[in-house]
Amino acid sequence: MSKTKTTGVTHYEILFIIPNRFTDDEAKTVSSSVEKIIADNDGIVTLREYWGKKRLAYEIKHNAFGYYSLFEFDLEGNKLAKIDTTLRLSAEVLRHQIVVKHAKSEAAIAKEAKIRVKIDSKKAADSKKQEEKTKIPSPSSTASRVGDKVDKRVDLKDLDEKLEGILNAKDLI
Amino acid sequence: MTNKKTKECYFCVNNLEVDYKDTRTLRRFVNFYMKILPGARTGVCAWHQRKLSDAVKRSRVMALLSATHK
Repeated sequence: MSKTKTTGVTHYEILFIIPNRFTDDEAKTVSSSVEKIIADNDGIVTLREYWGKKRLAYEIKHNAFGYYSLFEFDLEGNKLAKIDTTLRLSAEVLRHQIVVKHAKSEAAIAKEAKIRVKIDSKKAADSKKQEEKTKIPSPSSTASRVGDKVDKRVDLKDLDEKLEGILNAKDLI
Repeated sequence: MTNKKTKECYFCVNNLEVDYKDTRTLRRFVNFYMKILPGARTGVCAWHQRKLSDAVKRSRVMALLSATHK
């Protein structure tokens, strides 16, 4: 959790676990109550995600399962501590974590999109190169394989003839 | 874990951000005992390795990732 006491508005992200003793509907109401706590402290919730019931990686207070819920919100930095304490003291929330999330500006998003296009084109070019590389030796290798097969067939025929010859010779004796 | 031959940073190459909620990706940079692998082994650059270690620890706190292999 960030311990900054800035007065400006910051973008935060909170993820919390609701214990397994609640039902799915009850967990949703708990989730909305957390949202209310944020709203009471003049926070503006911008994103709501409810992950539902998930298995915890390890037991927390004898809970093997928990309901995960995620919010993103804008809040003044000095009001964060209050939300943190209320959630820490509440029995309805098993564990929570507040993280500073840098909201992306439009310019940053555009820049990322540009980089993505560049990467994709590079990947495509690389895969093409690899295909060409694999194509060149492939006909020769297949030809050699065919040749091997032909050789084997000839061998088998020869063997058959020899065998027949031997058998016939034995009959004669 | 990335291939030994390709020593490129996974996050730089794919233009990804390290996210503590994305356990499937984080799992690649953690060994069987759930210990964070060194950047020299996985090829992650120093800048992303710092973000990665933070993300793994955050993930452990929220029980998304185990702290031990059991």
